[in-house]
Amino acid sequence: MNDSRSIRFHYLLRAVILLAFALYIGHLVQQDALHYYVAPKLARWVQLCPIPLTLMALSLAIQALFGKGSVLCDCEHRLPHSIFKSTALYGLFLFPLLLGFALPDRALGSMAASKKGISFSSLPSETNNAVRFESIDPYHEELTELAKILYAQPTIPVYSAIFSETLGAIDLYKQQFEGKEISVSGFLYRDDSEMPESAFAIGRFLVQCCTADATPFGMLVDSGKLKSLPTDTWIEVRGKLQVVQYKGQEMMQIRAEAITPIAQPTTPYIYTSADSITAWKALQITANPTK
Amino acid sequence: MERLIRTLTTLSPLKILPLLLPISFLIIVGFIWVPELLDNAYIDTFKIGFIGILLEALPFVLAGALLSSLLRVFIPDEMISRWIPRQALPAILFACLLGIIFPVCECGMIPLVRRLIHKGMPVYVAIVFILSGPILNPVVYGATLTAFRNHSELAYARMGLAFAVACIIGLIIYATVKKSPIRLSVQRETDNTHHNNSRGGKLAAVFVHTSDEFFEMGKYLIIGCLLTAGIQTFMVQDSLAAIGDKPLGSYFFMMGLAFVLSLCSTSDAFVASTFVHSFPAGALLAFMVFGPMLDFKNSLMLLSLFKTKFALYLFFLIFSSVFIGAVLMSIWL
Repeated sequence: MNDSRSIRFHYLLRAVILLAFALYIGHLVQQDALHYYVAPKLARWVQLCPIPLTLMALSLAIQALFGKGSVLCDCEHRLPHSIFKSTALYGLFLFPLLLGFALPDRALGSMAASKKGISFSSLPSETNNAVRFESIDPYHEELTELAKILYAQPTIPVYSAIFSETLGAIDLYKQQFEGKEISVSGFLYRDDSEMPESAFAIGRFLVQCCTADATPFGMLVDSGKLKSLPTDTWIEVRGKLQVVQYKGQEMMQIRAEAITPIAQPTTPYIYTSADSITAWKALQITANPTK
Repeated sequence: MERLIRTLTTLSPLKILPLLLPISFLIIVGFIWVPELLDNAYIDTFKIGFIGILLEALPFVLAGALLSSLLRVFIPDEMISRWIPRQALPAILFACLLGIIFPVCECGMIPLVRRLIHKGMPVYVAIVFILSGPILNPVVYGATLTAFRNHSELAYARMGLAFAVACIIGLIIYATVKKSPIRLSVQRETDNTHHNNSRGGKLAAVFVHTSDEFFEMGKYLIIGCLLTAGIQTFMVQDSLAAIGDKPLGSYFFMMGLAFVLSLCSTSDAFVASTFVHSFPAGALLAFMVFGPMLDFKNSLMLLSLFKTKFALYLFFLIFSSVFIGAVLMSIWL
């Protein structure tokens, strides 16, 4: 059993750590950096965390400063006894804070993509799409609907909000989309072992919940004679779609006509959209307000 | 320094186990990947993964700790035991349905269950709740259905298998475990009511207990996040996929992956769906049922709650019944 003075010390230290966690989350929200770590739907809950954290810190501080000695007791939750164990415990809690404050907030890049393995198609390959724009189940229906809309565009725009759905729709109807103009932006990813210098992939990270489940998602690019850019550069690629054989599978590839380096978007990751058709319509209205 | 060595030698091996794990991990990382660590991309990826998992788990851990201390301060002991049916079978079914009312992620589960056991919930009912709660709830069902929009039968299979596994393990524990498997140090917590006269009344007491729970569970959470982020940063997923070529190898691979990735049960379905091309449906099912029941961070938490022998017995039961269940289910998928 610890004496009351050491309990007060532990409580104060814990209050400081809890407050530091609350401040760190506040700092991330203020810097608009929370989306580097968690998806928007989860970020809402993370933003609420500073409230209980601060209340906990305040209660502990009140106990430590004004609590009566006889009331302070660690008989229920044992506090660490030796200096070594205390240091280890609080060191563990300070580590994420140190990491968080000391290093800049960055988005995942091609290093992580090479570990996770980039995926070029969102759908099982056994589906046969010989028939023009016909679908089998609700999700296919949605993508088919999207494919029809995309097909009518002179140049297919790939919006961040429906990135995975757009690539999915094109992937579903490879033959029909061959030769169409497309414009995509993402980071440049190179799988050094497999691809020649002129070929690379343009990718984005698809995040469902947090960065632990981030999966890289992208499209092959053949840059031809255009000058090559370093890996991880954010680029916009314009070009024509073509079907190629890659690792024994049919894939869509962009034969690039123009590659322009761009600034990293404010939200570097992409998220799934519940209804891509509605999202597309909303995007059209914001893109062309005159119509 | 002498003092430090003396403290180290007097500690029992089990007590320093949680400390040895991250230290040994850091040593391994230090020796093998020092040249790579100097490369900034690794540190960045590690940080993004680590902070990402930690922030993701934080709301759930806080909710679990808050709920547990609310239970402690406001709900009298008799109330919980009155709600739970006396017979084993209805009690197990009751525990399975509890997840629908408390959709708590597995990280928030342990502090809550610890409190429930103190309030008189039988251990086998608590185990069923720990196992079924993170899967059998509307949030996870919705997420699984969205992830497998082309294979909705997998979402039903996931719910069904989780239900079956939780019930079977509950029955086995009811039949085989008679002595209390709770760790002595946890048992010693006496329910005396000195918290009533602490400063700031009951509300302050709730928050003091919440922070106690938070520091108790937080250390396992942070160790789990460190290990998971380390694995995600340094492991190439494709290189391990070779194990998946053998017929049953894919099951072991997916279950091992679920264990080391320690994903949240609401998001693991999306990760599983990226393996749809390369693995049979049964292996994906094993991934989605095994992961929420047992992974790095919650096995550390379970070890802190239960005696080591019982915890290992429980791990074995979970592993074998999920494996057998998934293989059997794969016949219908």
